[in-house]
Amino acid sequence: MTITPQMLGIFTDIYGSYEAMTIGRALLIAVVGFLTVVCILALIALFIKLVAFIFSAVEKKNAKKVETIITPVENSPAPSAGNPLPEAESQGELELIGVDEPTAAMLMALVSYKTEIPLNRLIFRSIKLVEDEK
Amino acid sequence: MDVLLGNFSTVTFPQVAMWIIGAVLIFLAIKKEMEPSLLLPMGFGAILINLPNSGAQHIIDVMFRVGIDNEFGELMPLILFIGIGAMIDFTPLLTNPKLMLFGAAAQFGIFFTLCLASLLGFDIKDAASIGIIGAADGPTAIAVSMELGSKYIGAIMVAAYSYMALVPLVQPPIIKMCTTKKERLIRMDNTAGKTPSRLTKILFPIVVTIIVGLVAPDAVALIGFLMFGNLIRECGVLNSLSETAQKVLANLVTIFLGITIAARMRAEEFLTVDTLLIIALGLFAFIFDTFAGVMLAKIMNLFSKKKINPMIGAAGISAFPMSARVVHKLGLEEDNQNFLLMHSIGVNVSGQIASVIAGGLILTFFR
Repeated sequence: MTITPQMLGIFTDIYGSYEAMTIGRALLIAVVGFLTVVCILALIALFIKLVAFIFSAVEKKNAKKVETIITPVENSPAPSAGNPLPEAESQGELELIGVDEPTAAMLMALVSYKTEIPLNRLIFRSIKLVEDEK
Repeated sequence: MDVLLGNFSTVTFPQVAMWIIGAVLIFLAIKKEMEPSLLLPMGFGAILINLPNSGAQHIIDVMFRVGIDNEFGELMPLILFIGIGAMIDFTPLLTNPKLMLFGAAAQFGIFFTLCLASLLGFDIKDAASIGIIGAADGPTAIAVSMELGSKYIGAIMVAAYSYMALVPLVQPPIIKMCTTKKERLIRMDNTAGKTPSRLTKILFPIVVTIIVGLVAPDAVALIGFLMFGNLIRECGVLNSLSETAQKVLANLVTIFLGITIAARMRAEEFLTVDTLLIIALGLFAFIFDTFAGVMLAKIMNLFSKKKINPMIGAAGISAFPMSARVVHKLGLEEDNQNFLLMHSIGVNVSGQIASVIAGGLILTFFR
């Protein structure tokens, strides 16, 4: 459906004639034209919001698939705040399920980067490969 | 000797006046660096076309008919839109879609000037063409005024491009007049870290074309070419085409367009009272665009918890990217830690879309 001067009575009334305009009619043109532009742009803005909402929902769903347990050091027994773990040192054991070591290292680096928590202040308990749902 | 000097006696005062106007445009382009890519060819073209018995007149007329005024439509402005679309990054707008409204608000000058021009006695199609100066978008102004068959295209072009170049001089006093110091100091959340998904960026030009096409079919050519350029940019598999559109294509068309506009800058057509009136109305359109954008932000602040710096509303005129830079600079003048560029660029690109939609609506209404 297209909106044309012929289809909308108000547009036909305002724009259909090329006679000299009165002030009232001129103002009506300004308001109707302006509101039309606003409506179209509002529609586009709504579309962007909708797409953003859908994407964030999909991302959240995907995030749940990766079962990486991240525990900040503050909530774990060691190391203490007064005795932080040296940068190059790690602690505890990491269980890898279906993931090789280079991939695990890359994932841990990514988590550290995204959460902005240094690697020596993070404890990874396990990293498990989850198959895509068919 | 008579053959060699005979042409001197045919020089008229209006022609000399046009040489001076041409020289002023060239001066503004070179010395002040105001839209040099267009003002320089237009200025030189004005001299070229107004030489007595100019051998260039015929060829410039032919270029005008081929590129702008042909039976197939306004070829050059539309091709230029592909290049412009490829240059624009809509990311700031996609991360904050609310900015769209400022782009819409800043088009009020177009419609208000249209009314004013009509009330001043211009034919409604000429009035609509004059109003579109307020789009602050040269290709849209050319396309609309040509499509409506305006006889003032030369004056409209000179006004449109001159005011685009004069944005740094025209906008700041209006912005300062409409805002308090406290409002100009408002800081806004930084959106620099947010990025829309690639799919959103790809879908955006397609969906915008469809929405605009359904509501204002006459805008499809304008918005479609703009969005096609943007799709080439965002698809990620046509980088060489995107670069060509942004640089080579846009530059070629700009050179061609600038000198071709001179076909409508003949002294007998250009030097009229109407031209002065059109230039005054163009200024009015720019002022009212700026005013409306700022006012919308102020109104939104009445209802919003997160305050908006009202200066960003002024970037809704589509003079891209000058008006965004002007707003950013004004923000830094008030507070050297207030960085408004991302927000003002978002408003600025929404103004680009809004001006094309407004142009298309005018075509839908008046053609």
